[in-house]
Amino acid sequence: MNGENTSQKNYEILISRQQLASWVEGLRENFQLIGPVGVKDEAEFREVFSFDEINPGYRSTMLPPGKTFLLKPEEEILSFDITPEGPVAKEPPLPHQKRVLFGVHACDTHAILYLDKVFLGAFPDPLYRARRENTLIISLNCRAVTEFCFCHLVGAGPFLKAQSGYDVLLTDMDGEFLVELKSERARKLFRIEGRPPEEKDWKRKEEMELELLKSFSKDFRADGLREVFLSRPDHPALRETAEGRCLSCANCVMVCPTCFCHDIYDETRVSRTGIKRMRRWDACQDYSFARVHGGNFRQERQARLRQFVFHKLDYEGQFGVKGTVGCGRCIRWCPTGIDLTEIAKEMMK
Amino acid sequence: MPFSSGEKWRPRAGFFKFSCCTGCGFELAYFQRSLEDTLKSFDFAFFRLASSSGDFDSLLDLALVEGTVTEPFQAVELKKIRKNSAVLYAVGSCAIAGGIPAIKAGGLELEIEKRAYQKKLYRLTSIRPSVLGDYVKVDGCVRGCPPGRHDLEEALVSVLLDRKPEFIEYSVCVECKMKGNICLLVDEGLPCMGPVTNAGCGALCPSCHRACYSCFGLMGQANIPALKDKFRQLGLSGEEIERRFTLFDGLKLKK
Amino acid sequence: MRKNPYVPFKAAIRGIRRETGDVSTFLLEPESGLPPGAPGQFNMVGYPGVGEAPISLSRVPMEGSDLLEHTIRAVGRVTYFLSAFRQGDEIFLRGPFGRGWPVNEAGGKHLVLISGGLGLAPIRPVIQMSDKLQARRITLLHGARDPGSVIFKTEFRHWRKKGIDVRLTVDEPGGGWRHHAGMVTEIVRELQIRPAETVAFICGPEIMMRFAADELFLKDVPGSSVYVSPERRMRCGMGLCGHCQHGVWFVCKDGPVFSYPELKGYPDALF
Repeated sequence: MNGENTSQKNYEILISRQQLASWVEGLRENFQLIGPVGVKDEAEFREVFSFDEINPGYRSTMLPPGKTFLLKPEEEILSFDITPEGPVAKEPPLPHQKRVLFGVHACDTHAILYLDKVFLGAFPDPLYRARRENTLIISLNCRAVTEFCFCHLVGAGPFLKAQSGYDVLLTDMDGEFLVELKSERARKLFRIEGRPPEEKDWKRKEEMELELLKSFSKDFRADGLREVFLSRPDHPALRETAEGRCLSCANCVMVCPTCFCHDIYDETRVSRTGIKRMRRWDACQDYSFARVHGGNFRQERQARLRQFVFHKLDYEGQFGVKGTVGCGRCIRWCPTGIDLTEIAKEMMK
Repeated sequence: MPFSSGEKWRPRAGFFKFSCCTGCGFELAYFQRSLEDTLKSFDFAFFRLASSSGDFDSLLDLALVEGTVTEPFQAVELKKIRKNSAVLYAVGSCAIAGGIPAIKAGGLELEIEKRAYQKKLYRLTSIRPSVLGDYVKVDGCVRGCPPGRHDLEEALVSVLLDRKPEFIEYSVCVECKMKGNICLLVDEGLPCMGPVTNAGCGALCPSCHRACYSCFGLMGQANIPALKDKFRQLGLSGEEIERRFTLFDGLKLKK
Repeated sequence: MRKNPYVPFKAAIRGIRRETGDVSTFLLEPESGLPPGAPGQFNMVGYPGVGEAPISLSRVPMEGSDLLEHTIRAVGRVTYFLSAFRQGDEIFLRGPFGRGWPVNEAGGKHLVLISGGLGLAPIRPVIQMSDKLQARRITLLHGARDPGSVIFKTEFRHWRKKGIDVRLTVDEPGGGWRHHAGMVTEIVRELQIRPAETVAFICGPEIMMRFAADELFLKDVPGSSVYVSPERRMRCGMGLCGHCQHGVWFVCKDGPVFSYPELKGYPDALF
């Protein structure tokens, strides 16, 4: 409260649900509050106006919070005015909306850190960066998993272990909430007197995680995949799944929290008075994705499915982490139930 | 230079129809907020919905053609339009995939005529339905029933800028997900055609909680057997499945 | 404030050289001075309302030169559109992007340049700076479909004068063709080299790069001395849009030039 005691202990506080609710609602003074609304794995991140609308026990959402709010499904990245001297480029105004993403699970937090590697790398994306800087991320450890989750196999959950890149980590401790402040701005914003966690609280947290780990149903071995992938790119498990079940509908990519691919295209109206350069989520499952003049590097459905599976489960050399965070959305929302972990298991046999 | 100052190029265009409901022509005539711009940008030599006069034989920079060819004279007209036009786009499911007029393609012509008209068959000159591409070279397909704003505008703009068009090729699911609709097929087991249907409608039906019935036609990369399998698992009969896949794509799938 | 990487700059067309029926070289002067560029790098070339396409630099601005060049075949949406442009018109560029040819490795070595068709365009800046490379010897092996589709025809004489061993071949000879007839791999096979002292830059259709490299490997040239420049679909050029991903690589920012072992083994390619 007074900021005098700045010891590490002070960044970890136990507070009541009521205290949490009033703090979060208080943030609405300066932030738009986005949180999970709805039940089970069909919850949805959207703007809420009171804490009661939020369901902290939600299990999953169809669209991932990070990608949806930081890299919008479709947006203008540039426009051109038509002048007597020809088209003149005009940058869109940077987004200034301050936001709180409340209740981001461990997998989805890791997904945001993954998107950071893409969009805040050598060529930072101005729109992504502005939104990222304006967004306070309040992560939330899961208390239940879905039958599709496999974050435990890829080091992305169920409890969040990352120490930075987000602002607050919450753990629902049966009535109380453990608040761990992970950023400077979170420390400035959080001014609530609570009870410092004791040894037994940390132990309880550990037990909760161990309990949760027992409830996962997915199981596959992630190490050693690389050799199998590269030596058997035409493995029957891939071929048969692609031909027999893959619809090339791209649902898997759309709901994937780390799929960052997007198309860039120019929108011109018939009036020819202005041009918008747009970007839109794109998918490697689309036939046109790897097409160039005179050829297509992933002409076959099998090649496109393989790109998704390999990019998620392998290709760690790209950003130093796996492309998957184990959220299981691609399995949950595939119309024919294609499961990349099953493909991996089949290939490892 | 397409955007330089001075007089803008005003291409000569025509809109033609064969067997169809004229919905695509209607869509162009009521082209969202762009009708005025469209008429300003193009010199329409032939467009029956806009003007009853018109020169069918005019040389054109752009011909937009809707409808299925179901009568011999239409094939002759179509070839003439092709000869007169620098660019010819097929507009709408009827022209591209057969659409509703091609539902009859599954049966024998005479039997269907009898069933539909009962008598006076000597007056009929109807033939087996064909898509435009069966008779002439088509430069692009403006898919839809009727087409969505993006593809229709893309068709017009491509001619105004004298460049190749880039029409939507991905599935309805892509638009549906981008809208955040909970999946009807996965979540409720509704036989939604979205996964194999070309987008462009903005996932109109699923957004109203109604399964897609593929009015934009199958997309190029559709995996038809895989979705049929899924529908079988949902308990649909063979005939129910066939009807869903041939309602708009009769010609593609019955050949 | 940092510069928005999506904003293109204008470049005026100072001249157009027709290379073949559908290939032209655009001599370009950027409005705000010349951006630095290296052989093998590319620009996103385009026009508002049409889009952008990745095009290699076929001339890198160097001392004494105030122009950069792009050699473009009119086949795609963007390139076909640009083919209607005339001297004095302006086009839009972003770049240069990517990792170019490792020209420093040519020092003291036998530099073997192998190109097929339009693949000579990204090789050309290497030839233009040949006197700075300190290579022991430079050989250019270039193949095209037929005599009419050989680009930069007028420059070969000049390159030979500079001491470069230029060997040409076409698949379909005719019209008084006096050079080799056959695949470019055949003239690679005929080449006498000392494998340990050879470094090769290859650019052309993927299948041609694959088999040209194989010929070098048969001569015991180590894989790490062979560089190729694959083509992929690109929308951004900066490793953001994801289209050019090949294995762990973004061809746009990690490439487009790769050493052969870097690409070997990944699916969806011939390497």
